[in-house]
Amino acid sequence: MNYRSYFKAEWMSLLRRKQDTLNALLFFVMVITLFPLGVDPSADFLAPAAGGIIWCATALSVLMAVEGMYKEDYNDGSLEQWLTSGLSVTFLVFLKVLAQWLMVVLPLLLVLPLLAQMLFLPMSVLSVVMLSILLGTPALFFIGSIGAALTVSLRRGAVLMLLLILPLYIPVIIFATGAVRAAQMEMVYSGQLAILAAISLVALTLSPVMAAISIRASVN
Amino acid sequence: MNLQLKNLWIERGERDLCRDLSFSVLNGELIRIAGENGAGKSSLIKAILGWVHLEAGNLEFNGEDVTQHRDMLLQCQLYLGHTPGIKSVFTALENLRLYCPQASEEALEFALDQVQLGAFVDTPAAQLSAGQKRRIALARLWLTDKALWFLDEPFTALDVKGVDALEQRMSDHLSSGGAIVITTHQPLLSLAPKVIELVA
Amino acid sequence: MNWTWFHKLGSPKWFYQWASNWGGRCVYLGLMLLVIGIVWGLAFAPADYQQGNSFRIIYIHVPVAVLAQSCYLGMGIAGFVALVWQMKLAPVFIKSVAPVGAVMAFIALVSGAIWGKPTWGTWWVWDARLTSVLVLFLLYMGVIAIQNALDDQVFADKAVAVVSLVGVINLPIIKYSVEWWNTLHQPATFKLTEKPSMPMEMWLPLLFSALGLYLFAAGLAMWRMQSEVLKRERKANWVKKEVMSHGV
Repeated sequence: MNYRSYFKAEWMSLLRRKQDTLNALLFFVMVITLFPLGVDPSADFLAPAAGGIIWCATALSVLMAVEGMYKEDYNDGSLEQWLTSGLSVTFLVFLKVLAQWLMVVLPLLLVLPLLAQMLFLPMSVLSVVMLSILLGTPALFFIGSIGAALTVSLRRGAVLMLLLILPLYIPVIIFATGAVRAAQMEMVYSGQLAILAAISLVALTLSPVMAAISIRASVN
Repeated sequence: MNLQLKNLWIERGERDLCRDLSFSVLNGELIRIAGENGAGKSSLIKAILGWVHLEAGNLEFNGEDVTQHRDMLLQCQLYLGHTPGIKSVFTALENLRLYCPQASEEALEFALDQVQLGAFVDTPAAQLSAGQKRRIALARLWLTDKALWFLDEPFTALDVKGVDALEQRMSDHLSSGGAIVITTHQPLLSLAPKVIELVA
Repeated sequence: MNWTWFHKLGSPKWFYQWASNWGGRCVYLGLMLLVIGIVWGLAFAPADYQQGNSFRIIYIHVPVAVLAQSCYLGMGIAGFVALVWQMKLAPVFIKSVAPVGAVMAFIALVSGAIWGKPTWGTWWVWDARLTSVLVLFLLYMGVIAIQNALDDQVFADKAVAVVSLVGVINLPIIKYSVEWWNTLHQPATFKLTEKPSMPMEMWLPLLFSALGLYLFAAGLAMWRMQSEVLKRERKANWVKKEVMSHGV
C-alpha cells in the first residue's frame, strides 16, 4: 500500500457506494424542509433565518457522514493494515477525510441554489453561503473524524460521538452564519470568512494527529 | 534481520498471557506460536507490532529499541490477521492492487491463482466467502518483498492444495533469508519450526 | 531548574504518600476558608447599590464558575502530558477531576439562573458567559461519557486524554466566538458582574471563598486520585502493604 493507491481506492469505494452520498444529501434536504413546516413558511421568517437553517442542516449531515467513516475499516481489518503498513496513519486519516469531504460537500453545493430559492435567500447572499460552506466544512469533517475514531469500536457510538463533537462545531456555525448575516445586511463579511478558514486550517493540521492516536488506541 | 524479545509480560484483563517470555527471530527462522484457543497467540503478535500494551519487557529490532523506532520494524514486515483488510466493494484484483500497487497485472493474477482464486479475479469481494476473502490477502505473500512475516492462522482459509502451495511459498521465503512468525495448529514439521508454547 | 518533582509525579507511590499528607489538610483548610468567605459575603458585606442583596450570590457563583474553567484547563494540560510523556498519573488526574469540574459547571449554571431571575427578569438569557459555561458543561459530560463507555483501561485513558486536549484547544475559540456572537445579538448592557472596581469589603470575602473552594477541590481531587491509584496499582507490593497496615 502507498498513499496514492490508498487515496485512489478510497475514492473509488466512495464512488461505488453512491447511495451513501445520496442519503447524506437527502438528509440535508429533509432537515431544511422541516424548518418551514415546523416554524413558519413565510418569507419574513425564512429569508433572514436561511443562513442559520442551511448551516444547522450542513452540520448535521456532516456528522451523519463522518460518524461511521471508520466503521467498515475497523470491521474488515483495514485499520490494522494501516497501523502495520509503515505509512503515516496521520496522513492516511488526512487522505480519507479529504476524500469524504469532496464526496459530500461538492454535491451539497450543487443542490444549494435550489434550496436557497425555497428559503427565499437573496441571490446576492447565495455566493457567501457557498463560500462559507467551502471554508467552514473542512473543520467540521476534520474535527468529526476525531470523534469517529474514538467511538469506532463501540457498537452504539453514534450518540456519544454527537455529544463529543457537536459542542466543538459551535464556533464554525457562529462565524459562518455571522458571515451570511453580515452579507444580508450588506456589511463586510470577509473577517468572518477569514476566521472560518483559520479554524479549518487549525483543524486540518491538528485533527489527523488526534484521530491517529485514537485509531491506534481503538485497535487492539 | 534480528528481532529480540526479552522478558515480555502481557496482560489481558486480569490474566497474564505471558510472563518473562524471551525469544529471538533470525534470518531463515520459522517461529510457530502454539497454544490453545484464548492462550493469547494473536495478542502476542499484536504486542510485537505495538497495539497491545506491554506491561514490561523489551523489544529490539536490529539492535534498536522497537518502542522508540517502531517504523524500522514496520517497514520490514507484513502482517495478516484474522480480518486482513479486504474491502467488499472491490473485486479480488482491486483489493490486491491496493496493497501491492507496484505489481503488474500478470503478477497480481498469478498471485491470485496461487490461492485458487484464478476464477474470481473480477468478482466483487462481497460475493466471496470469508475464507476466500482471507485468501485474497494471502495472495500478497507472492508479491511482497518484506523480509519478516506475521501470519495469524493463515491455513484455516485454505484447502489441502492451498496448504501445500502456502507451505511451499513459506519454505522459499525462509530459504531466501526471510523469517516468519506464525500462529497455527498445523505442526509444519517439514519446515522445522521453532515452537513457542503459550499456556492458557 | 530542578525537575525532580516532575519525575516524582510519575511515580504513583510517591504521589499516594504525598497526597495522604496534603489531601486532608487541603480539604479542611479549604472548607474553613469557604465557610468564612460565604458567611462574610452573605451576612456582613455591604449590599450592592444597584442590585441590593441579590448580588451576594457572586460569593458562590463566581468561584464556582472560575473553578469549572480551571479544572478543564488542568485536564487539558494533563491530557497533553498523558499523550506526550505517557505519565501514569495524568489520566488518573483527568478521571478524578472531570466529575468535580462538571459539578462546578452545573452549580455555576444553576446559580447563574437564580441570579438572572431578579436581575434580568428571566431564568435564562443567551448571555455570552452563560452560554460558554453551558458548552463547558457539555464538554465535561463528553469526557465523562467516553470514560464510562470504554471498558479497556489503556484505551479509555488515551481517549479521555484526546478529548480533554481537543476540548482545551477549542475552549478559547468557543469562548471568543460566543462573545462575538453575543455582541452581534444584543447590546452589552447585561454585563453586571464587570464593575470598574469593587470596594474592598465586597472583594475580600470573594477572595476567601474562591481560595477556599480551590483548596477544597484540590483536596477532593487528591482523595479521588488516591483511590484510583490504589485500584490501578493493586498488584504492586506497596499497595498490598498499605492496605495491610491500615485495614480495609
